[in-house]
Amino acid sequence: MSLAEFLPEILLLAGALLIFLFDVLGRRRLELVGGVAALSLGGALLLVVADLGVSGLAAIRTVPAGSVDLPLAPSLYAFTSLGFVFQVTFLLAGLFVAVASLSRPSDEKGASVFFGLLLIATLGMMLVAVASDLIFLLLAIEVTSLSTYLLVAYPRRDERSLEAAMKFFIIGALSTALSFFGASLLFAAYGGTSFYALGPGVAFVGFPLLAEIGYGLLIAGLGFKVTAVPFHAWAVDVYDGAPTDVAAFLSGGSKKMGIFAFFLVFLGPILLLRSAPDALPATFGASLQLTLGILAVLTMTVGNVLALRQKEMKRMLAYSSISQAGYMLIGVAVGTYPAIAGAAFQVFAHVFMKTGAFLVVAAVAGLGVGPLIEDWKGLGAKRPALSVAFALMLLSLAGVPLTVGFVSKFVLFSAAVEAQGFYVWLAVAGLLNSALSVFYYARVLKAIFLDRPDPTSPVAGPLTGRIGLARSAVIAVAAVAIVGLGIYPGPVLSGISTAASHFVGIGA
Amino acid sequence: MSAFSPAGLLALSGALLGLGLFGILTRRNFILLLISVEIAINAAVLNFVYFAAFSGSSSALSGQAIAVVLIGLAATEVAVGLAIVLGLNRLRGSINVAEASALRR
Repeated sequence: MSLAEFLPEILLLAGALLIFLFDVLGRRRLELVGGVAALSLGGALLLVVADLGVSGLAAIRTVPAGSVDLPLAPSLYAFTSLGFVFQVTFLLAGLFVAVASLSRPSDEKGASVFFGLLLIATLGMMLVAVASDLIFLLLAIEVTSLSTYLLVAYPRRDERSLEAAMKFFIIGALSTALSFFGASLLFAAYGGTSFYALGPGVAFVGFPLLAEIGYGLLIAGLGFKVTAVPFHAWAVDVYDGAPTDVAAFLSGGSKKMGIFAFFLVFLGPILLLRSAPDALPATFGASLQLTLGILAVLTMTVGNVLALRQKEMKRMLAYSSISQAGYMLIGVAVGTYPAIAGAAFQVFAHVFMKTGAFLVVAAVAGLGVGPLIEDWKGLGAKRPALSVAFALMLLSLAGVPLTVGFVSKFVLFSAAVEAQGFYVWLAVAGLLNSALSVFYYARVLKAIFLDRPDPTSPVAGPLTGRIGLARSAVIAVAAVAIVGLGIYPGPVLSGISTAASHFVGIGA
Repeated sequence: MSAFSPAGLLALSGALLGLGLFGILTRRNFILLLISVEIAINAAVLNFVYFAAFSGSSSALSGQAIAVVLIGLAATEVAVGLAIVLGLNRLRGSINVAEASALRR
């Protein structure tokens, strides 16, 4: 092992420490601290992309090709190409939010807190992506959780934000306690906590019942993180009360971290089901698969049905975010490598769609438009470029062809159909839910492009607020990526498929 | 290790977890809620320490190390919770969880 392998993570940590140092020295200008944050996120992104083996960047690789995708061993961390794919996703979400936040009013208080915590939260996610030990994984999740509680609370004068942070904290503490108790039971049953000890290297299984209860508690504890139904109730209030940029980060970043944690923890027993069906963890791999499948269907259905009734843009997006988590869970439940590739691609695409959509909501709120969907009436005529970008994001979330959302759902659902049996029903449920979701996205699009603004609404007025260059640029990049990856997903998709096949190869 | 059988220990730690979770879900006072969080996390700590000693193998050390790390984690968790509750108290002059209603609709 060498420290150089962790250069991207060190870069993030150094950026955060520099920002806090500037804060102590009284240098708190938004451009300065935001610039440091964007630079360290961008630098880390470049390094991780190089680690993915992109030709032309081989010179700056921090992890040599020989130490990626090694067979599972009893260690704390391991580098996998799928982990790198997720790291790219996390860094993109962080970078989008950091750059867009440069367009905030520069006299706003708390900029150094915001950007510093953003870097530390991203650092935690990066560590999740290389975890090879249950305790390492849960601690990395804690790094992110603790900093996101404070991120939600950083506008300290805003009662709604603090209240959202309080709810987030209570639910987070509950999930932490459940996860660690689950981990302690697995430790009791297997005598170790590395994924090697829990999977292929099972040496001693003292108490099979403990292992089952342990995995059950982990489903609940991690389920809170990915907002899986029935552990979803907190998410909407938190996304609603949090500053919109933070909500963009939560749905694009920290929820995706939960999905990867699901991969790491639950794929072990599910994969063992295929390679060594008589080993003890495999015997409940089947019930685990069933549970996760039910969870996926519940999550997408409940998320979509509740989204239908929302009157506020942010809450509608929050519920749609819950339903998207359901689609991603299909990938874990099916557990074949095309399904994992589909889920990973969906996670990747989600950064552009959902983070982008939340950033648009923040931009529109900056224009002085109210939070209700009907407040957006007639926006299409006033701000055509912004409205078209938002429309692309919603269409992509609904899974309309020529957008990246269509490609990711297509890959995911066809993998579920290929897996036969009970999984076909997961694909059917996903398709029905996609159709259902079109209703509420279409309602928003109708309001924006077809309806006339109410005479009293700010949209009917001159709409003088500014969006800012940085935020406009991020929104444009997200919109272009949605269409670009929708029309030509080839290289990215094949890269993710290869990474997923390696990942499954390691676990078996 | 004869004082406690695994079943007895699990009953104890399970009861601690249950107490903690019950407290987290029902306590109105944020400080008492933080204490409940502490109890719930300590249930896991207890398990790690006991089963590390119980198995007696090379994993014994790792179990105890995990316990120490978890104690640190619980303290961090409480520090962050206190920061949030201080902010709320400054705004509203109350640390009652049930009075939080700005997001209800």
